[in-house]
Amino acid sequence: MTRYLTGSALTLALALTLPAADWPQFKGPGASGVSEETALPTEWDKDKGVKWKAALPARGVSSPVVAAGRVYVTCSSGKRDDRLHVLCFDAASGTRLWHRQLNATGPTACHPMTCMAAPTPAADATGVYALFATGDLAAFDPDGNLKWYRSLVGDYPAITNQVGMAASPVLAKDKLIVPMDNDGDSFLAAVDTKYGKNVWKVGRPRSINWVTPLVRETAGRTEVLFAGPNGLTAYDADNGSKRWLYKEGAGAIPTGSVIGDTLFLPTGGVSAVKLGPDGPAGAPVMKAKEMASRHGSPLVYRGRVYAADGNGFIAAADAKTGKTLFKERKKAPYSASPVGGDGKVYCVNEKGVTTVLKAGTDEFDVLADNDLGEEVLGTPAISGGCLFIRTDKTLFCVGR
Amino acid sequence: MHRRFRPGWAAAVALALAAATAPAQDGDVAKAVAVLKGVTKEGTNNDAAGPAWKTVVDAGAPAFLPTLTAVDDANPTAANWLRSAAGAIAENEKKARRAFPGAELEGFVLDPRGAAPSARRLAYEVLLAQDPATPARLLPKLLNDPQPDLRREAIADQLAKVKTGAPGAATLDELFAFTREKEQAEAVAKELEIVGKKASVTEHFAFLTQFRVVGPFLSEEGKALTLSHPPGTAPDVAAEYTGKDDTKVKWVPQATADKYGKLDLNEKVGRLKNACAYALAVVHAEKETAAEVRVGSPNAVQIFLNGKKLFEREEYHHGDAMDYHVGRGVLKAGENAVVVKVCQNNQTDSWAQRWQFQARVCDATGGALPGLTQVVDGRKLPLGAITQPEGKK
Repeated sequence: MTRYLTGSALTLALALTLPAADWPQFKGPGASGVSEETALPTEWDKDKGVKWKAALPARGVSSPVVAAGRVYVTCSSGKRDDRLHVLCFDAASGTRLWHRQLNATGPTACHPMTCMAAPTPAADATGVYALFATGDLAAFDPDGNLKWYRSLVGDYPAITNQVGMAASPVLAKDKLIVPMDNDGDSFLAAVDTKYGKNVWKVGRPRSINWVTPLVRETAGRTEVLFAGPNGLTAYDADNGSKRWLYKEGAGAIPTGSVIGDTLFLPTGGVSAVKLGPDGPAGAPVMKAKEMASRHGSPLVYRGRVYAADGNGFIAAADAKTGKTLFKERKKAPYSASPVGGDGKVYCVNEKGVTTVLKAGTDEFDVLADNDLGEEVLGTPAISGGCLFIRTDKTLFCVGR
Repeated sequence: MHRRFRPGWAAAVALALAAATAPAQDGDVAKAVAVLKGVTKEGTNNDAAGPAWKTVVDAGAPAFLPTLTAVDDANPTAANWLRSAAGAIAENEKKARRAFPGAELEGFVLDPRGAAPSARRLAYEVLLAQDPATPARLLPKLLNDPQPDLRREAIADQLAKVKTGAPGAATLDELFAFTREKEQAEAVAKELEIVGKKASVTEHFAFLTQFRVVGPFLSEEGKALTLSHPPGTAPDVAAEYTGKDDTKVKWVPQATADKYGKLDLNEKVGRLKNACAYALAVVHAEKETAAEVRVGSPNAVQIFLNGKKLFEREEYHHGDAMDYHVGRGVLKAGENAVVVKVCQNNQTDSWAQRWQFQARVCDATGGALPGLTQVVDGRKLPLGAITQPEGKK
């Protein structure tokens, strides 16, 4: 017992003293959905286990991101959903540090489930890059100073997507990768993070697409992997040249992940393929056919693939064999992607209930069901021993 | 209501501010605002705009209204640089517990000619944050405001008063004339019906309801905007054309009785794939009039005015939001040919079968324009008038 207490105290002390890891983009570091932090929370509700909470000015389906001790959140408001908000909070205290607003310069029509604050921002120590479904793209420094701003619909007026865009920008060194697959002027672009000017811009199939690009380092190069209707294309992050195409990697909504040398893709279930320097090396090494989700992206964590779907099912498969381990139905659908850390998997449903599973087991081992009582469509972030969950009206920091 | 300050505290803050920063001069702010207005496409001038933005924000309250005023003739990209700077100033002033001069802000809000609608909206919100009595004082004066949110809130405020019989409220007829939004127009129309008055939402929004339609012509996804046919740029109601599959097609009178002007081309032309049709409405203007032709459709569309293409967009079956497509042009005095080309693709999904559109001609706020009529069989009818189709009387 003494040894257990000593160990627990040591774990807690380490957790409290280690610097908080950033959760800088959609699905966190490298889009893995996984945090290496420990001492993450297991049980909470809206009044218990919440370190702080902050009111949000409006709805959003984007995820919070955390960088250098700051939490950034986007929202959109107004009868026409044409007011765009970027907010910054102190991650430790929840103090709102600043709140900037823009007017939408692109169309705001969309499916009622989504909104203009659908893409998740990207952040690093120099600030935040917020893209909205209207094509408005702004960069703020950590103090809220506007570094640069682009109206992508102003630049490329044929951009159109009446369902609403949601693909998120990601950082690749000194470039921001901006996905803009749509039915009009469809493109993938890299803009420089200093002034927001195009470094490259390549045409894409004219089709709406909600997949977020992945970034990987290989053989001294940085590649941007972007799934779309015709497959997954790898682009050289330096100049946008096409490096390879994986036709079997077509996608439209969920985003995959690169774990080591393996690319996991949500292609009618989840499949895995080994990547070499020049793309996929051979046939898929795993297919988990029952891992299909609707909006959320799959999680690969501790040897398992997890998916939470639009019908309320949480499923897991063996990440090596694809064998389904369990598929259990909860009470509400899932739009948010599951995330993992500290040996747990967090699945937040649309009603705001987070089911916490024990990770890495073959059973549906539920540690807790935690109800925040508010709509949640955005994927949580993990940083500083806490989960950051944004609802339709509140940002919760869950943890100690 | 302005916040009260303790003089000692305020003096200390003022001294600290003075010591910490050298205030920007008016000229600096003017130069910085000019830099922000110089931002154009693809990030041009972004490098200079970042520091200029900070100069404006650091100048504080004195830069607030000049910055908002500058939004007036700024391009949309520059407008967001300016608007966000003004918003940052407002946030900083609020944090410092300093109030803006209320009368100055109020004058800015109430002068619809003074600045861009979005700028006046921000000023209104700052005023509201300082003074909860702002809506009661200002909203009755904003019923016909070009800023859509101010207008909507003003109408909602007055409609609530009408319902409770509050004295001095606007009339329902006035509210109906002022409203620009579908839900609000429906709500006011319903109230008018309750008191025994007729209100046509179709006429209110100036939907085109009487057309001549010709088609089908060949269209293909990816080529809908480039495969052109004579009816778009040179509509001739007497002409016969070679349509899809070499069939001969002529203009056929068609009308819609749909409340929101929907014309169903599956019904009027046929349930077809890879096809397009052209719908012509003749709009008579008493004088030269700047106008918007607004279209909603789940299909690819092009909008022509007197043979000139105003707008085009190719997107299929992702929604048909009212007013999603906007073509801007100038109606000449006399008769004008408004043509909407609507293209269907070849999707077979059950949810991808609609082939339809709605179109209206209005001002920049979405309101009906005076002096416009729709010419139907030689008669001039109000826009939105619902009649039997020509030739089917």
